[in-house]
Amino acid sequence: MNPKALVRDPFSVIVTGVGGQGNVLASRLLGDMLAAKGYFVTIGETFGASQRGGSVMSHIRISSKSAWSPQIPRGKADVIVSLEPVEAVRVLREYGNPGVVLLSNTRPIYPVGVIRGELEYPSLDALREAVARILPGARFIDGTEQAIALGNAILTNIVMLGALNRLAVLPFEREDFRQAVGRRVASKQVPVNLMAFDKGYGLAG
Amino acid sequence: MKVLMSGNEAIARGAYECGVTFAAAYPGTPSTEITEEFSKYEGVYAEWSPNEKVALEVAIGASLAGANAMAVMKHVGVNVAADPLFTVSYTGTNGGLVIVTADDPSLHSSQNEQDNRNYAKFAKIPMIEPSDSAEAKDFIRIAFEIARKFDTPVFLRTTTRLSHSKSVVETGEPKPSGAVLEIRHDPRKYVMVPANARLRRLAVEERMKKLAEFAETFPENRIEMNDPSMGIVAAGMAYSYAREAFPEASFLKLGMVHPIPAGMIRAFAARVDRLYVVEELDPFLEEQIRALGLPVAGKEHLPFTNEFDPGIVETALSGKAANVKALPQVTIPPRPPNLCPGCPHRGLFYVLGKTKTFVAGDIGCYTLSFMKPLAGLHSCICMGASVGMAHGMSKALGEGGHGKVVGVIGDSTFIHSGITSLLNTVYNQSDVVIVICDNRTTAMTGMQQHPATGYTLQGARTRQLDIPSLGTVLGIENVRVINPLDLKETREVIKEELERKGPSLVVAQSPCALLLKKKGGEEKPLRIDPDVCTGCKVCLGLGCPAISWRKFDAETEKTFKKKTKKQEGIAVIDRDLCNGCTLCSQVCKFKAVEEAK
Repeated sequence: MNPKALVRDPFSVIVTGVGGQGNVLASRLLGDMLAAKGYFVTIGETFGASQRGGSVMSHIRISSKSAWSPQIPRGKADVIVSLEPVEAVRVLREYGNPGVVLLSNTRPIYPVGVIRGELEYPSLDALREAVARILPGARFIDGTEQAIALGNAILTNIVMLGALNRLAVLPFEREDFRQAVGRRVASKQVPVNLMAFDKGYGLAG
Repeated sequence: MKVLMSGNEAIARGAYECGVTFAAAYPGTPSTEITEEFSKYEGVYAEWSPNEKVALEVAIGASLAGANAMAVMKHVGVNVAADPLFTVSYTGTNGGLVIVTADDPSLHSSQNEQDNRNYAKFAKIPMIEPSDSAEAKDFIRIAFEIARKFDTPVFLRTTTRLSHSKSVVETGEPKPSGAVLEIRHDPRKYVMVPANARLRRLAVEERMKKLAEFAETFPENRIEMNDPSMGIVAAGMAYSYAREAFPEASFLKLGMVHPIPAGMIRAFAARVDRLYVVEELDPFLEEQIRALGLPVAGKEHLPFTNEFDPGIVETALSGKAANVKALPQVTIPPRPPNLCPGCPHRGLFYVLGKTKTFVAGDIGCYTLSFMKPLAGLHSCICMGASVGMAHGMSKALGEGGHGKVVGVIGDSTFIHSGITSLLNTVYNQSDVVIVICDNRTTAMTGMQQHPATGYTLQGARTRQLDIPSLGTVLGIENVRVINPLDLKETREVIKEELERKGPSLVVAQSPCALLLKKKGGEEKPLRIDPDVCTGCKVCLGLGCPAISWRKFDAETEKTFKKKTKKQEGIAVIDRDLCNGCTLCSQVCKFKAVEEAK
C-alpha cells in the first residue's frame, strides 16, 4: 500500500494533556489509523510518575518514506492536540513554531500549586489571547463538556480526535477511526465513541 | 504481520518467537510491560518475584535446568540483583540466560540516572542494545544465541524511550528452542568456592576475548559509509537521533556495546575525517575508543545528563543555535504528579505531616507526599531504605529521638526489601514506628500483583502473605492495623505508637483508588455546600486534585453572602474527579461537605 505524500515528511504530531485523561489511547488510535494506511509511524510516550496527574505527552511521527525517531526535535511539531489548555501552552513553548496547527480542549485541570491557592491558573481568555498572538488560527473547543453530555468525561480524547479530523491536517477519515476504535475498545463502547468523534467533528466546524 | 509495538512489547514478542519459555521479574518503570506482555503468550512461565535479586536467581535456576530464561528489571533493579549477577558471569549457564535492563535517561520515573552499560564491563557480561522496536524483537533472539554459544549471561539494554515508543514490527511464528530440560551436575562449574571460582575466572577472560573477536564480525555492528567528513559511532536510541540529525554522515552502528569491536572502530576511524561518539549518559564508548588511541569527540559537545533528541544532537555537534520557538507570553503553573483523588496515602501523610517527626520514605506513589501541602515524607533513597534508615536515625539520636522517627514503606516495597530491615529493628531494638502503606497492589508501576495480594502475575489465586502476622512473627510486639482514610484512628494510633518504646509496626490498609476504580467499585462523589463553606482552606491542605479554590470575583463579591468579612472565596469539589473518600469532610469543621446529588 502506497500512502499519499504528506505536506511535510516526517509529519510530527503531539498529543498532550494530564495523566489519566486518555492521552495514550488517543495517540494509539491515531497511530493505528495511519499505520493501517501504510505510513511509517513511530510513537513516543511518557509513562511512569507522570501518570499520577502530571503532564503527559505523546510524540507521533508519520512518514510515507521511512521510520523516524520517537522524539520530535524542539520547535518542530506540525500539529499539537491538547486535552488541557495550560498543557497546550506548555507544549507550544517547547515544540511550537509559527506554522503549527494547535487544537486544545478548554476544560482546565488544576495542578497542585493552584489547588493550594498558591499559584494562579491563567484565565481561559488570557491563554487564548497569548496563543492567538502567535497562532491566530489556534482552535479551542469545549471537548470535556461534550464528553460529559455523552455520559463520560473520559470521552474527551475521542471528541478531540473528531475535531482533529475536521481540521483535515492528517490523512484519516471517520471510517478509519471506526475500524481503529473497534480494535481498541469493547464492541458495546464503539457507538458512544463514534458519537464522541462526530460531536468533536461538529465542534471544530 | 506488521504491527505497531512498543519496545517492551517487541522484546516480549521476540522472546516468545525464539523459544524463551521462562521469565522472572519485579515490576519497575520502564521495564514492567515486558513481563506482563510475555506472560500472555502460550506455553511460557512468567512470574513476579519479590525483588530483582530473587528474579535473577530464579532465572539462573531455570537456565541451569536447560530453559531459555530471562530476568527483567529496571536499571536500579540490577543493583539489587548485582550479587548473583557478578558470579553467574563466572558459572555461565546451561540454557540461555538474558538479563533485560531498562535504563531511564532523564529520570522519568526513577531515583537516579545510572548507565547500566557499566555493569556489562564491570561484571564481564556482553551487552546488546537495540535502537527501535523491530530491532528489540530481533535482539532478544540474538541475545539468547550469544548466551548459548558463549555460555554466558547476556544483557539486553533498553531505555525508557525505546521501551515506551511504538514502531512497526513484523511478527512471525514461534519456533521451538530445542532446549533440553534436565538436571545436570557440574560442581566445578556451578559451585563457586574459591578453588573453582579461580578457574572460572580464567574462563571468563577467555570468553571475553572470544566475544571481542565475535564483535568484529557480528552483523549488527555495521559500518554505513556516506559522507566521510563526519563519522559517528552510536548505539541504541542515540543512533536513531544521530541518523535523523545528520542523515549525510557516515555511521558505525553498534548493536553490541560490550565488548566493543576495536578493529572495526579503527577501520571506521581511518575512513572518516572526524570521529564522533553520540551516546546518552556516560562516555562509555567514547572512553574506550579514546583508549584505543583514536582522536574522538563526544561529551565535550554532548550532555552527560538526560536523554537526547535529534535537535539536541544536531545543535551540539553542528554548533548551530537551536530553533526559534513560539513563546506565548503567559505565566503557567507547573504540573508535578500528585496523589490521585481518593488515594489512601493522602490520609496517612496528612497525619504524618503534622507530627514533628522525621519520616524516612521509600519508593512508591507515596513518595509524592514529600510535596506541599502534605510534606509528610523526608527522604527517599531506594527500595527498602526507609526501614533501615529510620532504625539508624533512631539509634544515633538515642533518647532524644524517641517518638520522633518514622519509616514508611509500601506493601510491595516492604516485601521487595523491607522485611530484613524490619527484623533488624526488632533484633537491635530501636524506637521507631514503621508504617506499611498497604494499598493492596504495586500501584506506581500500574497495579501488579505481589505476595500479599494473594494473586499471581496471571491472576491465579495463591497463598496470601499476611503482613500483620509477619510483623508479629518477626518479633514486633505492637502491630496495629489502621484505615488511613479514617483520620481520627490514624492520628490516635500514630500518636500512641510514637509514645511507646521499642519498634512498632502500623499497617495502614486501604486499597489504591485506581485499583478500586478498576474493580468497578461504587463511587459516591462529594460536594461542598457554598452556603456553608467559610473559605477557611483547611480542606485544601489535603492537596486533593478534586478540590480547588474559587476566589470571589467582582460578580460574586456582590451576590455572595460571606460567612466572615475576610472570606475571599470557597472551596469546590470537581465531582468528575471525586471518589468520595471523605477525607475533606473529616477535616471540615463546618460540615460543609456532603454527598453530591
